Amino acid sequence: MKKIISVLLLFTFGLSSCEKDDICDANTPTTPRLVISFYDIADPSLAKNVRNLKVIGVGEENGIVFNETGTDTTRYQTSATTISIPLKVNAKTVTYRFILNDSDEDPGIINTDVLTFNYTTNNIFVSRACGFKTNFTLDPVSDVDPITSPFVQTDPDLDGRWMQLVKVKNRNIEFENETHIEISF
Amino acid sequence: MKHTLKSLFSICLLFSMFLGHAQETTTTTVTTENNQKKNKAEAVKPAAQEAKKDSIPIKTDRYGLRVGLDLFKLTKGFYDKDYKGIEFVGDFRLTKKYYIAAELGFEDKTTDDDRLNSTATGTYIKGGFDYNTYQNWLDMENLITIGLRGGFSTFSQTLNTYKIYNPNPYWNESTTIIADQKYNGLTAGWLEVAMGVKAQVFNNVFVGFGVQLKLLVMNTKPDGFDNLYIPGFNRTYDGSFGVGFNYTVSYFIPLYKKKTALPQIIKKPAAKK
Repeated sequence: MKKIISVLLLFTFGLSSCEKDDICDANTPTTPRLVISFYDIADPSLAKNVRNLKVIGVGEENGIVFNETGTDTTRYQTSATTISIPLKVNAKTVTYRFILNDSDEDPGIINTDVLTFNYTTNNIFVSRACGFKTNFTLDPVSDVDPITSPFVQTDPDLDGRWMQLVKVKNRNIEFENETHIEISF
Repeated sequence: MKHTLKSLFSICLLFSMFLGHAQETTTTTVTTENNQKKNKAEAVKPAAQEAKKDSIPIKTDRYGLRVGLDLFKLTKGFYDKDYKGIEFVGDFRLTKKYYIAAELGFEDKTTDDDRLNSTATGTYIKGGFDYNTYQNWLDMENLITIGLRGGFSTFSQTLNTYKIYNPNPYWNESTTIIADQKYNGLTAGWLEVAMGVKAQVFNNVFVGFGVQLKLLVMNTKPDGFDNLYIPGFNRTYDGSFGVGFNYTVSYFIPLYKKKTALPQIIKKPAAKK
Protein backbone atom coordinates (compact mmCIF):
# COMPACT_ATOMS: atom_id res chain seq x y z
CA MET A 1 0.00 0.00 0.00
CA LYS A 2 2.81 2.38 0.90
CA LYS A 3 4.48 1.56 -2.38
CA ILE A 4 1.39 2.49 -4.32
CA ILE A 5 1.02 5.72 -2.41
CA SER A 6 4.59 6.73 -3.01
CA VAL A 7 4.25 5.94 -6.70
CA LEU A 8 1.11 8.05 -6.91
CA LEU A 9 2.75 10.92 -5.06
CA LEU A 10 5.79 10.76 -7.28
CA PHE A 11 3.48 10.78 -10.25
CA THR A 12 1.67 13.92 -9.11
CA PHE A 13 4.99 15.65 -8.46
CA GLY A 14 6.15 14.65 -11.90
CA LEU A 15 3.09 16.13 -13.51
CA SER A 16 3.44 19.50 -11.86
CA SER A 17 6.90 19.87 -13.32
CA CYS A 18 5.81 19.54 -16.94
CA GLU A 19 3.49 22.48 -17.16
CA LYS A 20 5.41 25.23 -18.89
CA ASP A 21 7.29 23.17 -21.42
CA ASP A 22 5.76 24.73 -24.48
CA ILE A 23 8.26 26.32 -26.78
CA CYS A 24 7.31 27.34 -30.28
CA ASP A 25 9.23 25.14 -32.68
CA ALA A 26 11.31 27.22 -35.07
CA ASN A 27 10.20 25.02 -37.96
CA THR A 28 6.55 25.86 -37.41
CA PRO A 29 5.36 28.27 -40.11
CA THR A 30 4.53 31.45 -38.23
CA THR A 31 4.24 35.05 -39.39
CA PRO A 32 5.92 35.09 -42.81
CA ARG A 33 8.08 37.82 -44.26
CA LEU A 34 7.69 39.25 -47.74
CA VAL A 35 10.15 37.51 -50.03
CA ILE A 36 11.60 39.60 -52.85
CA SER A 37 13.71 38.05 -55.61
CA PHE A 38 15.92 40.03 -57.96
CA TYR A 39 16.28 39.33 -61.66
CA ASP A 40 18.29 40.62 -64.55
CA ILE A 41 16.25 43.07 -66.66
CA ALA A 42 17.95 41.75 -69.79
CA ASP A 43 17.08 38.15 -69.01
CA PRO A 44 14.12 37.86 -66.61
CA SER A 45 14.82 34.19 -65.98
CA LEU A 46 18.25 34.98 -64.56
CA ALA A 47 18.55 35.73 -60.86
CA LYS A 48 20.76 38.73 -60.24
CA ASN A 49 22.66 39.74 -57.14
CA VAL A 50 22.01 43.18 -55.77
CA ARG A 51 25.03 45.15 -54.66
CA ASN A 52 25.16 46.35 -51.05
CA LEU A 53 21.43 46.79 -50.74
CA LYS A 54 20.20 48.38 -47.55
CA VAL A 55 16.51 48.18 -46.71
CA ILE A 56 15.24 50.57 -44.11
CA GLY A 57 11.69 51.04 -42.93
CA VAL A 58 10.39 54.57 -43.16
CA GLY A 59 10.36 55.93 -39.63
CA GLU A 60 12.96 53.49 -38.39
CA GLU A 61 16.55 54.39 -37.52
CA ASN A 62 18.25 51.20 -38.59
CA GLY A 63 17.87 49.00 -41.59
CA ILE A 64 16.91 45.35 -41.61
CA VAL A 65 19.79 43.26 -40.37
CA PHE A 66 20.93 40.96 -43.16
CA ASN A 67 24.33 40.09 -41.78
CA GLU A 68 24.40 39.47 -38.02
CA THR A 69 28.18 39.40 -37.83
CA GLY A 70 28.87 42.49 -39.91
CA THR A 71 30.13 45.90 -38.88
CA ASP A 72 27.83 48.84 -38.22
CA THR A 73 27.66 49.41 -41.96
CA THR A 74 27.78 45.95 -43.45
CA ARG A 75 25.32 44.26 -41.13
CA TYR A 76 22.50 46.13 -42.86
CA GLN A 77 23.74 45.33 -46.35
CA THR A 78 23.10 42.36 -48.56
CA SER A 79 24.33 41.25 -51.95
CA ALA A 80 22.00 38.29 -52.33
CA THR A 81 19.46 37.48 -55.02
CA THR A 82 16.63 37.20 -52.52
CA ILE A 83 15.68 39.20 -49.45
CA SER A 84 12.95 38.77 -46.85
CA ILE A 85 11.43 41.79 -45.20
CA PRO A 86 8.87 41.86 -42.39
CA LEU A 87 5.51 43.52 -42.86
CA LYS A 88 3.67 45.31 -40.09
CA VAL A 89 1.19 42.96 -38.44
CA ASN A 90 -0.95 45.76 -37.04
CA ALA A 91 -1.22 47.87 -40.17
CA LYS A 92 -2.40 47.58 -43.74
CA THR A 93 0.54 49.31 -45.31
CA VAL A 94 4.29 49.42 -44.90
CA THR A 95 6.93 51.56 -46.62
CA TYR A 96 10.58 50.66 -47.12
CA ARG A 97 13.50 52.53 -48.69
CA PHE A 98 15.67 50.29 -50.84
CA ILE A 99 19.16 51.78 -51.05
CA LEU A 100 21.31 50.23 -53.73
CA ASN A 101 25.12 50.54 -53.44
CA ASP A 102 24.66 51.74 -49.88
CA SER A 103 27.60 53.73 -48.38
CA ASP A 104 29.54 53.46 -51.60
CA GLU A 105 32.67 55.56 -52.07
CA ASP A 106 31.13 56.93 -55.23
CA PRO A 107 27.98 58.74 -54.07
CA GLY A 108 26.83 58.94 -57.66
CA ILE A 109 25.83 55.29 -57.81
CA ILE A 110 23.88 55.28 -54.53
CA ASN A 111 20.26 55.01 -55.55
CA THR A 112 17.20 54.96 -53.33
CA ASP A 113 13.81 53.70 -54.39
CA VAL A 114 10.80 53.60 -52.11
CA LEU A 115 8.18 50.88 -52.14
CA THR A 116 4.94 50.99 -50.24
CA PHE A 117 3.15 47.67 -49.90
CA ASN A 118 -0.60 47.55 -49.37
CA TYR A 119 -2.13 44.44 -47.94
CA THR A 120 -4.72 42.93 -45.66
CA THR A 121 -3.91 40.80 -42.65
CA ASN A 122 -5.40 37.60 -41.37
CA ASN A 123 -4.55 36.34 -37.90
CA ILE A 124 -4.56 32.55 -37.71
CA PHE A 125 -4.28 30.32 -34.68
CA VAL A 126 -1.17 28.13 -34.76
CA SER A 127 -0.80 26.41 -31.41
CA ARG A 128 -0.65 26.97 -27.69
CA ALA A 129 3.09 27.50 -27.83
CA CYS A 130 3.20 29.74 -30.90
CA GLY A 131 -0.01 31.64 -30.38
CA PHE A 132 -1.25 33.24 -33.56
CA LYS A 133 0.44 34.11 -36.82
CA THR A 134 -0.42 36.79 -39.32
CA ASN A 135 -0.78 35.95 -42.98
CA PHE A 136 -0.89 38.75 -45.52
CA THR A 137 -2.63 39.24 -48.82
CA LEU A 138 -1.33 41.95 -51.11
CA ASP A 139 -4.09 44.15 -52.45
CA PRO A 140 -5.16 43.32 -56.00
CA VAL A 141 -4.54 45.65 -58.89
CA SER A 142 -7.76 47.52 -59.54
CA ASP A 143 -8.29 50.60 -61.70
CA VAL A 144 -11.96 50.94 -60.87
CA ASP A 145 -13.24 52.22 -57.58
CA PRO A 146 -11.96 51.35 -55.03
CA ILE A 147 -8.57 51.82 -56.63
CA THR A 148 -6.12 49.43 -55.08
CA SER A 149 -2.64 48.30 -55.89
CA PRO A 150 -0.32 45.85 -54.19
CA PHE A 151 2.56 48.33 -54.14
CA VAL A 152 3.45 51.91 -54.98
CA GLN A 153 6.92 52.76 -56.23
CA THR A 154 8.36 56.22 -55.77
CA ASP A 155 11.76 57.81 -56.26
CA PRO A 156 12.24 60.52 -53.64
CA ASP A 157 15.72 61.71 -54.69
CA LEU A 158 14.72 61.91 -58.35
CA ASP A 159 17.85 60.20 -59.61
CA GLY A 160 15.99 57.64 -61.64
CA ARG A 161 14.57 54.36 -60.45
CA TRP A 162 16.98 51.48 -60.11
CA MET A 163 14.07 49.04 -60.00
CA GLN A 164 13.01 48.89 -63.60
CA LEU A 165 10.28 46.31 -63.20
CA VAL A 166 8.42 45.32 -60.08
CA LYS A 167 5.77 42.65 -60.27
CA VAL A 168 3.73 40.52 -57.94
CA LYS A 169 4.51 36.84 -58.18
CA ASN A 170 2.29 35.65 -55.37
CA ARG A 171 -0.28 37.81 -53.61
CA ASN A 172 -0.75 35.42 -50.70
CA ILE A 173 2.05 35.76 -48.21
CA GLU A 174 1.84 32.59 -46.16
CA PHE A 175 5.22 30.92 -46.46
CA GLU A 176 8.77 32.13 -46.76
CA ASN A 177 9.95 29.46 -49.16
CA GLU A 178 8.38 31.14 -52.17
CA THR A 179 8.83 34.47 -53.88
CA HIS A 180 6.09 37.08 -53.52
CA ILE A 181 7.61 40.05 -55.36
CA GLU A 182 9.97 39.99 -58.34
CA ILE A 183 12.19 42.99 -59.05
CA SER A 184 14.19 43.28 -62.24
CA PHE A 185 17.01 45.77 -62.63
CA MET B 1 4.22 30.96 -4.56
CA LYS B 2 2.66 28.39 -6.82
CA HIS B 3 5.28 25.83 -5.92
CA THR B 4 5.02 26.59 -2.22
CA LEU B 5 1.34 25.89 -2.34
CA LYS B 6 1.88 22.77 -4.33
CA SER B 7 4.41 21.37 -1.91
CA LEU B 8 2.30 22.47 1.03
CA PHE B 9 -0.59 20.64 -0.40
CA SER B 10 1.46 17.56 -1.08
CA ILE B 11 2.67 17.56 2.50
CA CYS B 12 -0.91 17.83 3.69
CA LEU B 13 -1.73 14.91 1.49
CA LEU B 14 1.12 12.88 2.82
CA PHE B 15 0.01 13.76 6.29
CA SER B 16 -3.53 12.70 5.57
CA MET B 17 -2.22 9.31 4.54
CA PHE B 18 -0.60 8.84 7.92
CA LEU B 19 -3.85 9.95 9.44
CA GLY B 20 -5.55 7.26 7.45
CA HIS B 21 -3.06 4.70 8.64
CA ALA B 22 -3.38 5.75 12.23
CA GLN B 23 -7.10 5.28 12.01
CA GLU B 24 -6.76 1.92 10.38
CA THR B 25 -5.00 0.42 13.37
CA THR B 26 -7.49 1.83 15.83
CA THR B 27 -10.43 0.64 13.80
CA THR B 28 -8.93 -2.81 13.71
CA THR B 29 -8.79 -3.00 17.46
CA VAL B 30 -12.23 -1.56 17.84
CA THR B 31 -13.69 -3.89 15.30
CA THR B 32 -12.10 -6.94 16.82
CA GLU B 33 -13.66 -5.93 20.10
CA ASN B 34 -16.96 -5.47 18.35
CA ASN B 35 -16.68 -8.84 16.77
CA GLN B 36 -15.87 -10.45 20.04
CA LYS B 37 -18.98 -8.87 21.47
CA LYS B 38 -20.94 -10.11 18.53
CA ASN B 39 -19.49 -13.54 19.01
CA LYS B 40 -20.55 -13.55 22.63
CA ALA B 41 -24.02 -12.46 21.69
CA GLU B 42 -24.37 -15.02 18.97
CA ALA B 43 -22.81 -17.72 21.04
CA VAL B 44 -26.08 -17.95 22.94
CA LYS B 45 -27.65 -19.43 19.85
CA PRO B 46 -26.83 -23.12 19.86
CA ALA B 47 -26.79 -23.43 16.06
CA ALA B 48 -24.02 -20.94 15.60
CA GLN B 49 -22.10 -22.21 18.58
CA GLU B 50 -20.02 -24.71 16.70
CA ALA B 51 -18.86 -22.19 14.15
CA LYS B 52 -17.86 -19.80 16.86
CA LYS B 53 -15.51 -22.28 18.43
CA ASP B 54 -13.14 -21.58 15.55
CA SER B 55 -13.19 -17.98 16.71
CA ILE B 56 -13.56 -16.84 13.10
CA PRO B 57 -15.80 -13.80 13.03
CA ILE B 58 -18.47 -13.61 10.40
CA LYS B 59 -17.60 -10.71 8.19
CA THR B 60 -20.32 -8.33 7.20
CA ASP B 61 -19.79 -5.93 4.34
CA ARG B 62 -21.72 -2.74 4.34
CA TYR B 63 -23.25 -1.62 1.09
CA GLY B 64 -24.39 1.85 0.33
CA LEU B 65 -23.85 5.16 -1.31
CA ARG B 66 -20.82 7.34 -0.73
CA VAL B 67 -21.12 11.01 -1.65
CA GLY B 68 -18.47 13.64 -1.37
CA LEU B 69 -16.70 16.70 -2.59
CA ASP B 70 -13.38 17.38 -4.23
CA LEU B 71 -11.55 19.68 -1.84
CA PHE B 72 -8.73 20.29 -4.27
CA LYS B 73 -10.97 22.04 -6.77
CA LEU B 74 -12.90 23.82 -4.06
CA THR B 75 -9.87 25.23 -2.27
CA LYS B 76 -8.06 26.10 -5.47
CA GLY B 77 -10.70 28.76 -6.00
CA PHE B 78 -9.51 30.54 -2.85
CA TYR B 79 -5.89 30.96 -3.78
CA ASP B 80 -6.07 30.95 -7.57
CA LYS B 81 -8.02 33.91 -8.89
CA ASP B 82 -8.12 32.32 -12.35
CA TYR B 83 -9.98 29.28 -11.16
CA LYS B 84 -13.40 28.39 -9.85
CA GLY B 85 -14.49 24.81 -9.67
CA ILE B 86 -16.46 22.24 -7.79
CA GLU B 87 -16.74 18.50 -8.15
CA PHE B 88 -19.17 16.12 -6.50
CA VAL B 89 -18.12 12.53 -6.27
CA GLY B 90 -20.23 9.51 -5.59
CA ASP B 91 -19.98 5.77 -5.64
CA PHE B 92 -22.27 2.89 -4.95
CA ARG B 93 -21.01 -0.47 -3.83
CA LEU B 94 -22.26 -3.04 -6.28
CA THR B 95 -20.44 -6.19 -5.22
CA LYS B 96 -17.70 -6.94 -2.75
CA LYS B 97 -15.06 -5.45 -5.00
CA TYR B 98 -16.88 -3.37 -7.56
CA TYR B 99 -18.28 0.11 -7.16
CA ILE B 100 -20.25 2.19 -9.61
CA ALA B 101 -18.64 5.60 -9.52
CA ALA B 102 -19.52 9.00 -10.91
CA GLU B 103 -18.30 12.55 -10.74
CA LEU B 104 -20.18 15.68 -11.58
CA GLY B 105 -18.48 19.02 -11.77
CA PHE B 106 -18.25 22.60 -12.91
CA GLU B 107 -15.13 24.50 -13.77
CA ASP B 108 -14.31 28.03 -14.81
CA LYS B 109 -10.64 28.30 -15.59
CA THR B 110 -8.58 31.03 -17.18
CA THR B 111 -5.45 29.69 -18.79
CA ASP B 112 -2.69 32.24 -19.09
CA ASP B 113 -0.09 30.96 -21.48
CA ASP B 114 2.81 32.97 -22.80
CA ARG B 115 0.97 33.80 -25.99
CA LEU B 116 -2.66 33.06 -25.26
CA ASN B 117 -5.09 33.91 -22.53
CA SER B 118 -8.34 31.99 -22.65
CA THR B 119 -11.16 31.04 -20.33
CA ALA B 120 -13.00 27.74 -20.40
CA THR B 121 -16.31 27.42 -18.56
CA GLY B 122 -18.52 24.40 -18.39
CA THR B 123 -19.86 21.34 -16.69
CA TYR B 124 -18.89 17.73 -16.97
CA ILE B 125 -20.01 14.30 -15.93
CA LYS B 126 -17.96 11.19 -15.54
CA GLY B 127 -19.26 7.71 -14.96
CA GLY B 128 -17.76 4.28 -14.63
CA PHE B 129 -16.63 1.79 -12.06
CA ASP B 130 -13.97 1.27 -9.45
CA TYR B 131 -12.39 -2.01 -8.47
CA ASN B 132 -11.08 -2.23 -4.94
CA THR B 133 -7.74 -3.99 -4.85
CA TYR B 134 -7.26 -3.56 -1.14
CA GLN B 135 -7.74 -6.62 1.05
CA ASN B 136 -9.42 -5.24 4.14
CA TRP B 137 -8.95 -6.79 7.54
CA LEU B 138 -12.15 -7.70 9.32
CA ASP B 139 -14.67 -4.97 8.66
CA MET B 140 -12.30 -2.22 7.64
CA GLU B 141 -13.58 -0.39 4.62
CA ASN B 142 -10.56 1.24 3.05
CA LEU B 143 -10.10 1.28 -0.67
CA ILE B 144 -7.27 1.29 -3.13
CA THR B 145 -9.11 1.44 -6.37
CA ILE B 146 -8.42 1.25 -10.02
CA GLY B 147 -11.25 2.14 -12.28
CA LEU B 148 -12.45 3.26 -15.65
CA ARG B 149 -14.55 6.27 -16.50
CA GLY B 150 -16.18 7.80 -19.47
CA GLY B 151 -16.28 11.57 -19.34
CA PHE B 152 -18.30 14.14 -21.19
CA SER B 153 -18.11 17.89 -20.98
CA THR B 154 -20.11 20.69 -22.49
CA PHE B 155 -18.45 24.06 -22.27
CA SER B 156 -17.67 27.39 -23.82
CA GLN B 157 -14.35 29.00 -24.40
CA THR B 158 -13.39 32.65 -24.56
CA LEU B 159 -10.22 33.79 -26.20
CA ASN B 160 -9.35 36.88 -24.16
CA THR B 161 -6.05 38.01 -25.63
CA TYR B 162 -3.44 36.61 -27.93
CA LYS B 163 -0.01 37.46 -29.21
CA ILE B 164 1.13 37.20 -32.78
CA TYR B 165 4.26 35.16 -33.09
CA ASN B 166 6.66 37.15 -35.18
CA PRO B 167 10.08 35.52 -35.38
CA ASN B 168 11.51 38.57 -37.16
CA PRO B 169 10.46 41.65 -35.24
CA TYR B 170 11.59 44.81 -36.98
CA TRP B 171 8.80 47.28 -36.51
CA ASN B 172 8.50 48.14 -32.88
CA GLU B 173 4.87 47.18 -32.64
CA SER B 174 2.75 45.56 -30.00
CA THR B 175 1.77 42.05 -30.88
CA THR B 176 -0.81 41.59 -28.13
CA ILE B 177 -4.31 41.67 -29.47
CA ILE B 178 -7.45 41.78 -27.39
CA ALA B 179 -9.82 39.36 -29.02
CA ASP B 180 -12.60 38.69 -26.51
CA GLN B 181 -13.92 36.06 -28.84
CA LYS B 182 -16.35 33.57 -27.34
CA TYR B 183 -16.87 30.09 -28.72
CA ASN B 184 -20.06 28.44 -27.49
CA GLY B 185 -21.47 24.95 -27.66
CA LEU B 186 -18.23 23.02 -27.43
CA THR B 187 -18.20 19.40 -26.35
CA ALA B 188 -15.56 16.84 -25.53
CA GLY B 189 -15.55 13.21 -24.52
CA TRP B 190 -12.81 11.13 -23.01
CA LEU B 191 -11.90 7.89 -21.31
CA GLU B 192 -9.92 7.77 -18.14
CA VAL B 193 -8.14 5.30 -15.94
CA ALA B 194 -8.61 6.35 -12.35
CA MET B 195 -6.43 5.27 -9.50
CA GLY B 196 -7.44 6.22 -6.02
CA VAL B 197 -7.10 5.68 -2.32
CA LYS B 198 -9.90 6.16 0.18
CA ALA B 199 -9.48 5.72 3.90
CA GLN B 200 -12.16 5.84 6.56
CA VAL B 201 -10.93 8.46 8.99
CA PHE B 202 -13.86 8.23 11.35
CA ASN B 203 -17.39 6.96 11.32
CA ASN B 204 -18.50 6.81 7.70
CA VAL B 205 -16.26 9.72 6.72
CA PHE B 206 -13.64 8.99 4.09
CA VAL B 207 -10.77 10.99 2.76
CA GLY B 208 -9.20 10.02 -0.47
CA PHE B 209 -7.13 11.14 -3.31
CA GLY B 210 -6.83 9.98 -6.84
CA VAL B 211 -5.08 10.54 -10.10
CA GLN B 212 -6.57 10.04 -13.51
CA LEU B 213 -4.98 9.41 -16.85
CA LYS B 214 -7.20 10.59 -19.64
CA LEU B 215 -7.51 9.90 -23.30
CA LEU B 216 -9.47 12.34 -25.38
CA VAL B 217 -11.71 10.54 -27.84
CA MET B 218 -13.99 13.30 -29.05
CA ASN B 219 -13.26 16.99 -29.19
CA THR B 220 -15.20 19.61 -31.12
CA LYS B 221 -12.68 22.36 -31.67
CA PRO B 222 -13.85 25.87 -32.32
CA ASP B 223 -13.29 27.23 -35.78
CA GLY B 224 -9.90 28.92 -35.83
CA PHE B 225 -8.96 28.07 -32.28
CA ASP B 226 -8.27 25.08 -30.06
CA ASN B 227 -9.62 23.74 -26.80
CA LEU B 228 -6.78 24.57 -24.46
CA TYR B 229 -8.68 23.55 -21.36
CA ILE B 230 -11.65 21.24 -21.12
CA PRO B 231 -13.61 21.20 -17.85
CA GLY B 232 -13.14 17.77 -16.30
CA PHE B 233 -10.43 16.80 -18.73
CA ASN B 234 -8.13 19.67 -17.72
CA ARG B 235 -5.33 21.01 -19.84
CA THR B 236 -4.98 19.56 -23.28
CA TYR B 237 -1.65 18.58 -24.74
CA ASP B 238 -0.53 18.14 -28.32
CA GLY B 239 -1.59 14.53 -28.25
CA SER B 240 -4.89 13.37 -26.81
CA PHE B 241 -3.60 12.61 -23.33
CA GLY B 242 -4.54 14.39 -20.17
CA VAL B 243 -4.18 14.03 -16.46
CA GLY B 244 -6.27 14.83 -13.44
CA PHE B 245 -6.06 14.89 -9.72
CA ASN B 246 -8.55 15.07 -6.89
CA TYR B 247 -8.62 15.09 -3.13
CA THR B 248 -11.96 14.12 -1.76
CA VAL B 249 -13.84 14.02 1.48
CA SER B 250 -16.92 11.85 1.36
CA TYR B 251 -19.62 10.45 3.55
CA PHE B 252 -20.82 6.88 3.37
CA ILE B 253 -24.54 6.27 3.67
CA PRO B 254 -24.98 2.61 4.58
CA LEU B 255 -28.03 1.05 3.00
CA TYR B 256 -27.76 -2.68 3.68
CA LYS B 257 -25.34 -5.35 4.84
CA LYS B 258 -24.21 -8.60 3.37
CA LYS B 259 -22.46 -11.39 5.19
CA THR B 260 -19.39 -12.66 3.52
CA ALA B 261 -19.30 -16.41 3.01
CA LEU B 262 -16.08 -17.49 4.64
CA PRO B 263 -14.65 -20.85 3.65
CA GLN B 264 -14.85 -22.08 7.26
CA ILE B 265 -18.61 -21.79 7.21
CA ILE B 266 -18.82 -24.04 4.20
CA LYS B 267 -16.86 -26.65 6.10
CA LYS B 268 -19.34 -26.60 8.96
CA PRO B 269 -22.15 -28.76 7.46
CA ALA B 270 -19.61 -31.35 6.41
CA ALA B 271 -18.48 -31.66 10.02
CA LYS B 272 -22.08 -32.15 11.19
CA LYS B 273 -22.70 -35.18 9.00
